[in-house]
Order: sequence, then C-alpha cells, then structure tokens
Amino acid sequence: MGGTSSKLPKDLLSEYQELTFLTKQEILMAHKIFSELQDRENGPYSSRVSMEKVLTLPELKSNPFRKRICHVFSTSDMKDGSLSFEDFLDLLSAFSDSATLEIKSHYAFRIFDFDDDGTLDARDLEKLVNSLTGETDDTRLTAEEMRQLISNILEESDIDKDGTVNLSEFQHVISRSPDFVSSFKIVL
Amino acid sequence: MIMLIIGELFVLCGIHVNSTCFLMELREFNNQVHPPPDYPSPHGSQHSLRLRTVPAQDTNANQFDWASPAEDAEDSNEPRNLRELPLHMGLKKAVWQVQQMRVPVVSSSWNIKQSQTFRRFCEVVKYILSYFVLWKRGIQRIGGHFGGGVQSYFLFLRFLVILNFLSSLLIAAFVLIPSIVFRSMNLNSTIAPTVNLTDEEICLQYDPKPGVLPVFYTYFLDLVSGTGFMEYSYLFYGYYNNSVIESNSFSYNIPLAYLLTAAFYFLFCLICTIIRMGDTARLVVVTGGGAVGGYSMLVFTGWDHGLQGNRATKLKQNNLRHRLQVDLEEERLKKKSASLTLGQTVSLYTLRVFLNLVVLILIGATFYGIAKATQFSQSMNPTGFMGLLLQYLPSMVITASNFVVPLLCDKIALLEKYSPSTTVILALLRAVFLRLVSLGVLLYTLWEQITCKGDISNENCKPCHYYYDQYKCWETRVGQEMYKLTLFDFLITIATLILVEFPRRIVVDHCSCKLTQLVGRQEFLVAPNVLALVYSQTVVWTGALFCPLLPFINTIKFILFYYCKKITLFQNCQPATRNFRSTTSNFFFLLVLLFGWALSSVVLLYSVAKIHPSYGCGPFRLNSAMWDVVPGAVKMLNHTSEEFLFYIGSQKFSIPLFIFSCVLLCYVSALTSVHGKSVTLLKSQCKLEQRDKQFLVRQIEELNAKVQKEQREPQQPQRETKPLNHTATQWNQHYNYAFEPDEEPRPY
Repeated sequence: MGGTSSKLPKDLLSEYQELTFLTKQEILMAHKIFSELQDRENGPYSSRVSMEKVLTLPELKSNPFRKRICHVFSTSDMKDGSLSFEDFLDLLSAFSDSATLEIKSHYAFRIFDFDDDGTLDARDLEKLVNSLTGETDDTRLTAEEMRQLISNILEESDIDKDGTVNLSEFQHVISRSPDFVSSFKIVL
Repeated sequence: MIMLIIGELFVLCGIHVNSTCFLMELREFNNQVHPPPDYPSPHGSQHSLRLRTVPAQDTNANQFDWASPAEDAEDSNEPRNLRELPLHMGLKKAVWQVQQMRVPVVSSSWNIKQSQTFRRFCEVVKYILSYFVLWKRGIQRIGGHFGGGVQSYFLFLRFLVILNFLSSLLIAAFVLIPSIVFRSMNLNSTIAPTVNLTDEEICLQYDPKPGVLPVFYTYFLDLVSGTGFMEYSYLFYGYYNNSVIESNSFSYNIPLAYLLTAAFYFLFCLICTIIRMGDTARLVVVTGGGAVGGYSMLVFTGWDHGLQGNRATKLKQNNLRHRLQVDLEEERLKKKSASLTLGQTVSLYTLRVFLNLVVLILIGATFYGIAKATQFSQSMNPTGFMGLLLQYLPSMVITASNFVVPLLCDKIALLEKYSPSTTVILALLRAVFLRLVSLGVLLYTLWEQITCKGDISNENCKPCHYYYDQYKCWETRVGQEMYKLTLFDFLITIATLILVEFPRRIVVDHCSCKLTQLVGRQEFLVAPNVLALVYSQTVVWTGALFCPLLPFINTIKFILFYYCKKITLFQNCQPATRNFRSTTSNFFFLLVLLFGWALSSVVLLYSVAKIHPSYGCGPFRLNSAMWDVVPGAVKMLNHTSEEFLFYIGSQKFSIPLFIFSCVLLCYVSALTSVHGKSVTLLKSQCKLEQRDKQFLVRQIEELNAKVQKEQREPQQPQRETKPLNHTATQWNQHYNYAFEPDEEPRPY
C-alpha cells in the first residue's frame, strides 16, 4: 500500500480551521481520504491528485456536475482539474454544513458557468438543463421545450435584460429558495 | 392572546428575513455598480469599460477572473471573516498573513483573539452536542438515497420522539414518582370531605376488581383493551389518590401537581412546536409562500448534491425532467384554457362544486359512522373476544375511513382538473380535515354519553352530574379509549408493513407480468405518513390527562416506528416520482400539529373546567370541578402572592395586555411592509442602473468607432471595420431600454 501516512501538522490544522468552514474532524477525515487517493495514483508522487482519481470518490462518482466541480476548485496551471489538498479542502468547505449562502451560491454559479465567462448565457443554461435531466438522447428535453424553458428562465431571472444571468441575479434567485443550502451539501 | 403572540413571531421573522435579503442585495448591488474587472488588470472602471468595446480581439478575456473581488474586499472597512471569501486557499492564506501583520498595529487585536477563541469554543461545544443527536447518521443516509422529502418525515418523527420523551420525564418526575412513593409509604392523608354525601353515596361505588388472579386469555385481553388489571394501575387516572402530604418541612399536593403538570405539559409542547415553526416560517416568508412555476429556481437549486449512487442519480434526473415537462405542459395548458369559452368555464365550475359536495357527503357519512360505532361500543359490555372487537370498533372505523376516504378523494380530484400543485394541497387539506375532525367526533360522542348531552337534569345524570351507572370512573374510560386508539394505530402500521409491503415487493421483484410492473414497488408517500404521525400525537395529547403514562408509551411506539419505517424504506420502497417541497410542507405539517394541539387543549380545558370529576376514583374525587384545587391552593399562599395572582388573572391586567399586543402586532407588520417596499424599490433601481450603463457603453462605443474610423481610414480601411461592425451589431441587438417607459417591477 503506499505507506505515506503522514499526519497533518498542528499549525496547518488550525490554519485550515480558520480559513474553511470545516471542523477539525472533517479536516482530518479529508486528509485521510486524500492520502488514500494519492496512494492510488499511478506514477510519481505529486501533491496533486488527478481528476480521474478524485472522481472515484463515491460522493462525486455519479454527480452530473463532477467534472465542473473539479475544474472550478482546481488551481492547477494546466487546467486539467487536478486537485491539491488545499483545493480539496476548499471544495469540502464550500459544500459543508456550515458554509454561508453567499459562498454556496458563488460556487454554484461558477459550476454552472460552463464556458467560464462570468455569466450564464443561453448555451450555459442549455448545458445545465441537460446535466440535470440526463445526458442521453432519450432523457433530454425536446428542442421546443428547451427553448420555452430557457426563455422562461431568462424572463424570470434576468433583471437587466442583457440576455444572460450574472452573479447577483443568480444570487437573487437563490436567496428565495429555502432548500438550496441543504441540497448543496457533500458530506464525506 | 396566543394567536397574537404567534402572529408577532411570524412577522418578526419576516422582518429579519427581509432585512437580510435587503442587505445582501445591497452588497451585491454595490459590487455591480463598481463593475468587477473583467480582465486580469484590476484598474479603475474606465479601463474595463474601454476594454469591453473590443472583446473579440482579446482571447484571454473570455476567462472571467474570479480572484479580483479580493481587492474590493480588502478595501472595505470591516474585516471580513476569511472563510466567507470566495477565493481559493492560496489567496486566503495570503490575505490571512496580511491581516496577521496588520493586527499588532490595530488596538483591537485582543478583541479579535477573544472572538477567535470564542468561535473555537462554540465549535467544540457543537461537536460534543452532535454526539447526542439521535439517529444522525441514519437520517443522513436516508436523505442521501431518497431525497429531502423523505428525510423531512424522519426529522419530524425524531422531533416527536424527543418531545414525547421529555414530556414523559416531566410527568414521571412530578406525578408518577411522588404517587408511587406516597403509596408505598402508605401516607394516605386526604382532605376531609366537606360535602354532605348522603345522596351521592351511590356515586362512590367504584370497584375495578384489582388483585383477582386473571386467566392468561383474559390477561391478554386486558392488556390490549386497558381493562381488568390494567385499569387499576398507574396507567390510568383512576389509580391516583388525592393525597396531600404535609409533614414538617415538606408538603406535596398530588391533585395540584397532577393538574399543573398536565397544563405545563401542554404549554411545553406548544412552545417546542412554535420554536420549530419559527425556523421554517423564516424560510417560507423568504419564498413568499412557495413559488409555483419558478423555473429558474427549479433549474438552479434543483440538484441535490448529497445523492449517492447511480440509481438515486438517475431517479433524481427522471424526477427533474418529469417536473420540468409537467410545468411546461401546465403553462401551455394554462395559455390554452385562458381561452375557454363561457360555457366551458361554467360547466367546469359546476362540476367542481358538485364534486366538493360529494366529498363533503363522504366525510359526513364517515362522521356519522364513527358516532354510531362509538355509541354502540360504549353501550354494550360483553366479554371475551367479541367484547374486544366491539371495544375496538371506533378505532377500526376511524382507521378504515382514514384509509378509504383519501383514496376516493384522490380519484375525485383527478376529475376536478385543477393544476397539479393545487390538487396536492387540496388532497392534504381534505385528509387533515378528515383525520382531526373524526377524532373530534369520537370525543364528542363520548362526551354525549358521559354527560347525557350536557343535560344535568336527565335522570341518569342527576345525582352525580355524570352517567354514573355506565361510567363509574369516566376519566379512566376516556383514557382507555385513547390508549386503544394508540395501540390500534401501532398494530395496523406493523400489520401493513408485514402483510402488504413486504409481499408487494416480493411479488414485484419475482413476477414479471404486466400488472405487477404497472403497480410497481411501494412508493414512500410523505404526506399521508406525516399526517398519521400528527394524528397519533393528537390522540396522545388528548389522552395525557386521563392516562399519564401515554406519552411514555408513545415514545416507545415512535422509536419502533422509526426502525420499522427505515427498514421498509430501504427494502421495499422506491423514491417518490413526484417531488416534495420539503420546507413549505414542513411548515404545513407543523401547522397541522398545532391544530391537533388546539383540539386536544379544548378537550383539556373543557374537562378541567366543566365536567364533574368522578366521585369514586382519581385525585379530584371530592372537588366539583378539577380546576377547584387551584383556588384552594392559592388561598393557602401568603397574602402578597395571592393578591399578585388574582391581579394577573383579572381583567385589569389582561385587557391592557391584549391592547398592547395588538399595537405591537400593527407596528411590526407595518415595519415588514416598509421593508418589502424598499426591496422592490431597490430592484427597480438596479434595473435602471444597468440600463444606464448599457446606454453609456453604447455611446462610448459609438464615439470610439467614430474616432478610430477617422484615425485609421487612410491606412487600413478594411481591417478595423469588421470587428467594429461585429461589436456594433452585438450591442444593437440589445435594444436601448434607457428610452423605454419604466415597466412594472416584475413580481417575484
């Protein structure tokens, strides 16, 4: 087995407690799971875990947004979605129980922004709806339904009528939803 | 008075929510007015405006730089909590180090350290308390596999278990244990009877036959129906004595303790329910009571990231697709039906009125059936197995009607052609009405029998003020009825589990004929299950005065429910295809629980104040009403306390209090409406700002185009016009809304 069962130093632990919404136990559990993922990596030891390995976690394996989540939280220069331990903690912190609505809605917006341009336009919305309903042909909405749906969404949430949903419009919609905070949650 | 307090609580929550939303919007609005730099160079706003005019040329520009809001945050005066910055860890560490370096200069470093240690302490306390949370892992697992709706049922069940457990501790501490102690010490000092009891000697006869060694068969019957050896035990009211102990330094008045414990138990349950409602009410006020047709809300917040496993994910995706298709279909139908002719509308409404009448007749027939069954079972006294069946007749009728009538109502609702959301709400309302009022009918019938329809001059009721011949100890009889209802409810649930759900799963899994595939696996319907819980809890509340151990029995029953329902959920059920709005429905279920509480408190107040307690049994046997122990006890207090209590109970105090509460309610609701108006105003301001910005950008772009054209015309006539045209057409596509008359702010 790889045997790199390094313990997390105490000062780092308290620093992470300060900078994330995770409790000490959650950080230690995350460290344990991340070390296991690192052990399973093929190739030389690196501080980053590739996206494929991260996506083997049961909590992320069947999430339709898994690739977007990895890309959003990854700080890798190669933009390949690989996560360092701190990226992993950021991920868990945003999806934790005690994260605020602002943080969750901010990251939700980034996850839904498939082309990373800072706004949700019609193409992003279409990709979003397809992720929600299933990617195969017999589970998509028809083109007519999609068109009707996207025009409804833009009508409801696009306040300044520029054809896209920006961050504050998105957060406005989210703030009216009572179930968002409890559904935007991943607990290891 | 209680309704006023409840009303104020809701309005206060509404204000808090409105102000939070208001502040969040204000903050975001500020972030938007100083436009966040779109490109990696975070200079002033002019720079970004200029850069915006040539987006096609700069390919890096497509990547929105999310790191830049850090500068905005730094500049703001309040030191923000680092966790709440949406930056990745490297940047947060940098900000933290900067803050650490700044801290020794600022004199409030001690404050910051103190707040940090306090926060750490709170986290430790929360962690320790989380160990004591009942069934935390189990409920989390349920939520992960079946979604929020089913999880809300189990959370509600857990709330009721804890409520019942605490209530049974309360009753045990103040009523049960003193009674046991006093009885075992044989301290039987009773208050001397001051009433001349020559006529009422006949009322004193009460002989429940304790101590006779029962046959096993009758033992079982007695256990299940609460008669025989069970009747004269701590389970029922009749066993408690009216002992008043007054030794040297210690005095304990059992009747007073009994009454006050019952009253406090009711208040305690009310407060717990209201506190729990307060949390959900806050969220309901935010959404304005559940937005139907909120497509953006469904799409943005519909996915549950806690789901695990391919099966759950596929089901959720099917669910979402189904909902979207249904909503879109509903919208198309609505557009179509808005064009219904007058004749069609009239026929639809007459159909609806007719079907509502049919539903009312069905429910009325149920009530009649329950009343008759109760009268029949109370009037007969046979023994043996037939007797048992007869005793359970009211429970059986209630359970059968609770099963059959909602089914019929569902079928009728299909004919009424309401929108799907209205149908669900209507079905819930009808089911609630049926359950609670059928219990009310049972209680009313009992009351009729016991007090001869309230007519004291009736010869049956004359000497003792209640029907002494049949009801030698009427409180115990009422307690027995509630005990039987609780037990029967439990038996039926377990029987349904074993005899219906498991076989259904086995049949569906192994037999692949079309019929079984059509019927499919059992679906865990949240609403009927929650209403069943509310019904059981109402029965317990009604019976608590007459059967003090009933909350304890209910705790055990609900704990067993949890395990049984969890097993059947994982083994037999598939997740619901119809999604369940958990939070607004949570609020609705707590509201229904409150109605149940109101019903049982009416029963409590009426029996305490109006009906004459039994002469032969119980702690109130020598009072003319249960309430009479309280004035007697108050008289024994010292003078100032007595005066104080009389003042609080008098009109001199309650009328000014009522007026003051009304004034407070008006003030608080006025505050809410003002906040709502400011939110609407800010929304329209936001729209105007964006329009102005677009207009200005367009102006700048036009000027820029003119300048560049003049500059470059002699050198490169071809190259610049294309992208300029592209951007010009891009902006022209967006109509200049600055010149449009203001439209109505969109109602959200």
